[in-house]
Parts: sequence; structure tokens; C-alpha cells
Amino acid sequence: MSFIQVNNLSKHFKIFKREAGLKGALQSFFNRKYENVYAVKNCSVSIDKGEIIGVLGENGAGKTTLIKMMVGLLHPSSGSVLIDGYNPWERKNNFLKDISIVMGQKNQLWWDIPASESFLLNKSIYNIEDKDFNNRLDELVDMLDVREKLNVQVRRLSLGERMKMEIIASLLHSPKIVFLDEPTLGLDIVSQSKIRDFIKYHNKEHKTTFIITSHYIKDIQELCKRVYVINKGRGLYDGDFNDLIKKINPKSKLVFEFNNIPSQEILSNINNKYDIQINGSQIAVELEEDKIKLLLIDLLKIDYSKNFKIDELPVEEAMRSFFTSPDSFLND
Amino acid sequence: MIDWVKKYYSVLKMSWIQTLEYRANAVVGAFAILSGLLIEYLLLSEVFADEISSNSAIKSFASFNHLIIYIMLCMMVGQLKSSWHNSMMMIDEIRSGELNRYLIKPISYFSYNFMNFIGHNSLFYIVYFIMMSLVPVILGPGYAFNGIFQIIGFIMTLFISVFLSYATYFCMICFGFWFGEVRALIISYNVFNIFLSGQLIPISLFPDGLRQVVMNSPFRYMIDFPVSIATSSNFNIQYFLEGVLMQILWCIIMYLIGRIIYSFGIQQYEAFGA
Repeated sequence: MSFIQVNNLSKHFKIFKREAGLKGALQSFFNRKYENVYAVKNCSVSIDKGEIIGVLGENGAGKTTLIKMMVGLLHPSSGSVLIDGYNPWERKNNFLKDISIVMGQKNQLWWDIPASESFLLNKSIYNIEDKDFNNRLDELVDMLDVREKLNVQVRRLSLGERMKMEIIASLLHSPKIVFLDEPTLGLDIVSQSKIRDFIKYHNKEHKTTFIITSHYIKDIQELCKRVYVINKGRGLYDGDFNDLIKKINPKSKLVFEFNNIPSQEILSNINNKYDIQINGSQIAVELEEDKIKLLLIDLLKIDYSKNFKIDELPVEEAMRSFFTSPDSFLND
Repeated sequence: MIDWVKKYYSVLKMSWIQTLEYRANAVVGAFAILSGLLIEYLLLSEVFADEISSNSAIKSFASFNHLIIYIMLCMMVGQLKSSWHNSMMMIDEIRSGELNRYLIKPISYFSYNFMNFIGHNSLFYIVYFIMMSLVPVILGPGYAFNGIFQIIGFIMTLFISVFLSYATYFCMICFGFWFGEVRALIISYNVFNIFLSGQLIPISLFPDGLRQVVMNSPFRYMIDFPVSIATSSNFNIQYFLEGVLMQILWCIIMYLIGRIIYSFGIQQYEAFGA
């Protein structure tokens, strides 16, 4: 039995639609037409303790709805979730002490008073011993470099500082599972990187399970070996992130520059074998990884050039083409 | 139990800290309380001063001062038990998805907001308690707080009435899970409550039929009952105990109704917002 077990989870919302304008508002006031919209449909996933898993999907794909059901904020229409033996919707205190959630666009800190006060409140809510509280707070504050901001009103903090404080508040009680929904949303590159480093460190040191959603592919690339991809409410892929990228775009790009341009005959042979274009002394080609290796060996036999490089194609581009037509990549 | 007390005391403390964070607001708030009461006093003295001797209905009050003390105390208790502001905030939280931040913690939304409500109303408690303690000094003995039992009895019944009022508001707030916007319900309730609980006109001046209905409803125990304890010249232990028992009974009823509505409502909760 996995630490987190999600089975055939579905959630539909009953929503009403109306035409824009006053006429639409009046019509809707007297005769409201409802329809059921599936946000999540038959999603299943199991997660082990200490894993960092990324939940990927476009806006409105159902990522946040899935997470909200996993933490017990939303009741599912069907299916089940079991987290460390707890049913989230029962909201047992022991379960709530084991989890934490940070939502990039929502605050749990009290807006008008310093974050340190909210931390003290969490200390009482989670019944944390003085010694544990002080040790954890010191560790988190130093790691995220916000010690001198502790006693500043939350509303006066920058977005990055506030997010760091939110993360501290969510980790003070040492939860076993942390759900991070867009943790780096709107942050600058330095803050993003600090938060990513911190998550890696915390996962390694405390074996905390992280479930992360992010639109920044770099977050996923750096943090999550495994991803769960969701599209239009359905789970599309569950597995290694690099394998997914290779599935989407198995090609790499080789740029090779000859020291001495070989004879036309040699170039024709290469051209025929790999179907590539050669411009003067340079070859720039996109091929599958295996073919790239073979081509490189052949080229190095012809001319020992030190001037070559192999690039993987940008992951963002790969994901963009994946979400445009996901089925075409996953049907094989 | 100690952990439970510590947990919710921390919430209370946080709302005190937040109230003190805005010094100007706190000072203006205290001034507004005092000026509101002064205006009410001047208005009532114009309306009722000459009526006491001629109007038989108002004769149930021995003097104008007795009437004014009754109405003033009703206003103060009404203010202390009114979780109007808190209710609006809670409705917003349900509608906007801010409720999420409470649901993911090992706390009760009901208790958390009750402490928050008490904390934010603390300024009123302080100002009103000072004013109430001045009543015997300014008007002399015989009008209110005529003995230690009346003082203790009033404080006790006041706190129960605060809880009863909050539990009643909570029941209505929970309809927000289905309808999203329930401010109109709170506003309607407030209008009825101000009248039926004796805040506007003493319950003893109501027509017989209406008085009977109100006397057997929770409204009576929200304002009229604590005030009647405070203004009684002789402390009647039986009257007090029966009243407290009814207050507690209504608290349990409203709390249970609130819990039932909440437990169904939370299943409809859509946790809006990312």
C-alpha cells in the first residue's frame, strides 16, 4: 500500500452559464440553466513516502482541484483518497497535523501583523514544543534568509519574502506531506532558485513528501523526477519526467564544425546515410539521440574537430507541443 | 483540554494584537462608541422624559433613569453580542475560498472565529465595562448592578448570550455554502433581532401576544435577560437559574443546528481560488 493512494477520483461542479449583459443577467435570474462540468475525471495515482512529484497541466486542467481533494478541501463526486491511512474528508486532527499546503495565490499569514505572530499561532494550533519550534524556526529562517523580516508586517513584505514566510509557516509543524501549488508564482529568478534549493534540502533532510504544481518547467525539471500529467481533468501520464520529454521530442541538436572541409564524396556519403544538410564547414542537425551519437562517431572519424555541441531541445517547447496534442505523443 | 484552551487563547491573542496594530482605528472606535451612546441618551431623553408619568405602558419603569439605563444596557449588550462584522467576513471567506486556510489546520472554524469575534470586540468590552461601572457612581444606587450577585450574574449571562448570538449567526452563515451570498439573510436577521431582543423598545412594552412569543424564543435570552439581571433590585436566584438554564439550552440547540448545517454545507464547498 502506497503512502498516498488516489483511486478513480472524479469531481464535477454544477455551474450555470449566462449570456453577457443585463439581458443575460435578467434571464439567468428567472431561469438559470445549469450544467455539470468535470474538473477531474477518474484520476488514479500512488505516491511513496519522501517522493517529490510534479503535477503538470495547463490552466484549468484540474491540477488544483485534484490537490484540493487530496487535502480534504473538496469532497469528490466519486473515487477515493487514502493518505497514510487517513481519509482526507474526515479531517481528523492527526491527518491535518501531517499535511500542509501552500497556495501561491492565497495567504495563511495574518496580513496586518508580523509573520512571527502567525508562526506563534501555528505553534499553538499544532501544539509544537518550545524547543522544537525554536529549532525549526531557526533552521527555516536561516535557510530562506528572512531573519530580519520576521517582525515586519506581512503586508509590507515583498512577494518573494511573503512566499518564504508562507513556506516557513507551512513547515513549522514538520508535516509528512507538503502540497505546493505554484510556489514560485511571480517570484524573481533568485527567489525561485532559493525556494527550489530549499525544497530539495528539506526533502533530503526530513524525507518530506512534496506534491508540486507549477507552470515553471524549471521547477519541475529541478525538483521532480516523476510527474503526473493531467489534461482536461484526465490523468495522461504518470512517470519519469525525462522519459516524457524524450517521448514528446526524442530529438537532440548537433552542431559540428569541421577543421578541414572533407571531400565532396565523404560529405555525400554522410548526407545519404543521415539525410542531413551541410553548409560549408558546419553541420547543424536535429536527430534522435541514438542517431546523433552514431553521426558524431562518423564525423569524428572524418575530422577530429573540438568544435561541436549537442543540445537537448527546450523543454518548454516540448511541453507546449505536448499540450497542443497530448494523445499523439502517448498513444504508442 | 489545556492544549485546546491554549490553542484558542492564541487566536484570541492574535485578534487583540491585530486590533492594537491600528492605534488610530482603536481610538476612533472607542470615541464612536461613546458618541453613539450619548446621541441615544439625548434622543431618549427628548422622547421619553415627559412620558414616564403620563404613559401607562411605560410606567413599568419606576423613572426615566430606570428606562434609560435599561435601554442603554440593551444597546451595550446588543453591541457586544453582535457578530455582524465577523459574520460578513465569514460569508466572504466561504464565497471566496479563503475558508481553505482554516480547513487545512487542526482547528474548528466555529471556535476559531468565535475567539476572533471576541478578540475584535474587546475594545467594546473595555469601554462598556468602564461605562457600566460608572452607572452607580453617576446615577447613584438603585438603577443597575445593585449587588455582587447582579454583577456576577450579568457577566455570566452576558457571555452566554454572546455565545448564543454567535451560534445563531453561524447557522445563517453556513447557508453560504449553498447560496454563496447570504448577506441579505444576516441583514434581515439583524433588523428583527434589534427589535425582538428589546434593543429598540423594552420587551415589557410589546403587545401581549408578541411578548409571549419573544419570551419563549432565544431572542429574549440575548439581551433582555442579562439586562434584567443587571437592573434587578433584588436578586432572584430561581429566576436567574431558570434563565441561565434556558440560555444554555438555546446555546446547545443553536450550536447543534449550526453543526448540522455546516457538516452538510462543507460537502457543497467549492474551495474557489488557487
